[in-house]
This record gives sequence, C-alpha cells and structure tokens, in this order.
Amino acid sequence: MLEWLRFILTAGLLISGLIILITAVIGVYKFDYVLNRMHAAAMGDTLGLLFCLLGLTVSAPDLATALKLLLIICFLWVASPVSSHLIARLEVTINPRWQQLPPTPGKDEKEEEDSP
Amino acid sequence: MSLHNAYSVLYIGALSVLVVLTILCFIRAIKGPSIADRIVSINMIGTQILIMIGLVALLIGEGYLTDVALIYALISFLAVVVLCKVYMGVFLERRAQEQEEQHNA
Repeated sequence: MLEWLRFILTAGLLISGLIILITAVIGVYKFDYVLNRMHAAAMGDTLGLLFCLLGLTVSAPDLATALKLLLIICFLWVASPVSSHLIARLEVTINPRWQQLPPTPGKDEKEEEDSP
Repeated sequence: MSLHNAYSVLYIGALSVLVVLTILCFIRAIKGPSIADRIVSINMIGTQILIMIGLVALLIGEGYLTDVALIYALISFLAVVVLCKVYMGVFLERRAQEQEEQHNA
C-alpha cells in the first residue's frame, strides 16, 4: 500500500512537471521576440525541472541517487539565472533596436541572421 | 497491473512526451531568427535531456546514470556561457573594426 502511495506521488509530480514543460514549449512558439521567449523558457528550466526531478527523487532506489538528483536541482537553480542574464545581455548588445515595441519581426532581424 | 509495470508505463510515457518536446525545441532552434533564439532553445534542450537521463536511470535501475546527468548539467551551462561570450566578442570586434575604418576614411 505504501509503495502504491509512493507511485502515485511520483506520477503526480512527474505529470505536473511535464505539463509545465509543455507550457514552456508552447510559450516559446507563441511569443515572437527573444526577450519574451526567454520568460517562457525560464519557467520550464526552473519549475518544470523541479517537479520532474522531485518526482524522480521520491521513487529513487537508494539514498545516494536521491541526493544526486537534489544536487542537480540546486545546481540548475543557480546556473539558469546566470545563463538567462548572459543571453539577455547578448541580445541587448547585438540588436540595437531591442527597445522598439512591438519588435518588428522578420524585417529587422533578418539582416542580423547568421551574421557572426 | 503490478507495481513494476506501472512504473515502466509511467517512465516510458514521460520519455515519449520529452522526446516530442525536444524535437519541437530543435525545430525552434533551426527556425529562430536571431542568435539569442537559438541559444535559448539549446538551453531548453539541455534541461529536457537532463530529465530524460534521470528517467532512464530509474527505468533501468542504475543509480550511476545520475552522475552522467550531473556532468551533463555542468557542460550544458558551460556551453551556453561560452557561446554567449564568443558571439559577443565577435560582434564587439567587428564593430571596433568598422569604427576604425570609418575613422580612417
């Protein structure tokens, strides 16, 4: 009975994490500018990863595996804001028209496509 | 349905969903108009593959695969940092070169 309870907890956490990841991918497709897309992507990187790996931690076979999974969560929560900051700074540096709202999709950014 | 079968069905279903999401992110990385778009997509692919490695580790019952996931997280973060630094360095160098040519002309 307790094993089934653990399975139900794992399934619930894993499925909520997958729903959040699906939402992140839909958001990446819906938005049409990088600094908007980054918002959706960061949600999948933090909350989706937290739910999925917590679900795996609940049903881990031994203690070392569970602790390693928790360590991955801690590391990615430190690393993800840093990489988001770097990507945003790259976009602001490269694109001189980043403040224009709405950003003109296609016409302006086509020139800088693949340029470096 | 026994518990073992239930775990297998759950893990394989989650893996299938993650494969579809990874392919969608890959298409986004190919289509993305600017460089920052591509780097964002690559970052998302890294996260999803991290979860897939964790799922496979529990599916085949080998705990050491989580070590692989930890190293993968380190390398994916390093890749994003290096790509951003390289593209920014190339852009700044090119701009400095253009300004120098304008100054000379």
